Amino acid sequence: MSRAKIPRKSTNIDMTAMCDVAFLLLSFFILATKTKPPEAVAVISPSSVSTKVAKEEAILVTLTKEGKVYLMLGDKAHKNAILDDINTTKALGLSSTEMAKLRKTEFIGVPFNQLKGLLNLETPMEPGKMPGIPCIDSTNNELTDWIRSVTNAYKGENMDNLNLLVKGDNAAKYPAFKSIKESFKRNDLYKFKVVTNSEPAPPGSELANKVLLEKK
Amino acid sequence: MAEIENKRNTGKPPKAAFIKKNTRVDLTPMVDLGFLLITFFVFTTTMSTPTVMNLNMPFDKVPPGDLISENCVLTILLGKDDVIQYYEGMSQSQPEIKKTFFGNEGIRKVILQKRKLLQKLKGTPNDLVMIIKPSLESTFQNFVDIVDEVAINDVKHYYISEIDKEDEKKFYLMPIKIQ
Repeated sequence: MSRAKIPRKSTNIDMTAMCDVAFLLLSFFILATKTKPPEAVAVISPSSVSTKVAKEEAILVTLTKEGKVYLMLGDKAHKNAILDDINTTKALGLSSTEMAKLRKTEFIGVPFNQLKGLLNLETPMEPGKMPGIPCIDSTNNELTDWIRSVTNAYKGENMDNLNLLVKGDNAAKYPAFKSIKESFKRNDLYKFKVVTNSEPAPPGSELANKVLLEKK
Repeated sequence: MAEIENKRNTGKPPKAAFIKKNTRVDLTPMVDLGFLLITFFVFTTTMSTPTVMNLNMPFDKVPPGDLISENCVLTILLGKDDVIQYYEGMSQSQPEIKKTFFGNEGIRKVILQKRKLLQKLKGTPNDLVMIIKPSLESTFQNFVDIVDEVAINDVKHYYISEIDKEDEKKFYLMPIKIQ
């Protein structure tokens, strides 16, 4: 009788609680985050005090550290119109199968004369290996032509719908940004947005005081 | 005694002993799976959504109509290695060119002082006009930082300009290469 009373301690731990925690965390992460957008080119964007959240549907111009310029047409509603426009205005002579391929490409980062060759490649080229859209040279600013097609596609609509973003690397040199700016200006686009990481306004500054006032 | 035992045996079917044996499932593999999925989601997703900063370029196809008072102007030139050079007033009056840096004690102080000065002179600090001239050696980060500084200090008017031959001499810069 006395032997039976000795509690036998089991080495088994009840895993139920831990399992609950794990799946709770899992569901939190699934709901609170969203999948990373395709980021084929590494860009470390600068930070600003701005609190506006970037919209998904945007015409994004990416500027890398080396000064390469890429274009990403994130606005699906206008993407086809933009690509059709560039094909006709620049007389690229792309066939319908090539156009279909072009519609599927996320990043555009080659000069016009290489575009046809790129689309006929067996395996798609990695964006990091692309030479970028030429735009530094003011006489051969191909980004201007791209942006012209973008504005053509948005013609007749409210221009506020056009969400023009520039995402630049911290270490990118200013002249590269200047040429992007030029290509926007030539198409009469004076308003655009710069993608940044948010940071709080420094305490004691005018902006911080303003934010405090608004909160009150 | 024997009878009671018999009763018990007949009352409960012998199968009950099997069911009672163990209903607990080992959850260890499930926990493993849970944490594996967590790690997967942490690595493939982003928490912070990028923000955007509005940037309005001047419409400079027509010459500006309004002239601004000289003492309202603060010209800032972004140079190499994150150095800022600045002067107050118009370039014709040969102002003193000073050097500063980014940050709380650097450019922010300069802007704040200028605002205070204008508060005294004009009664409002909102007349301050900042002219930003990024040089060819400055980086994109410098540019965003200075525009951010405009937002931080609530500067109402700013203008992004380009450096010219005059500035080159003044700031001892590298000559502009003709591309």
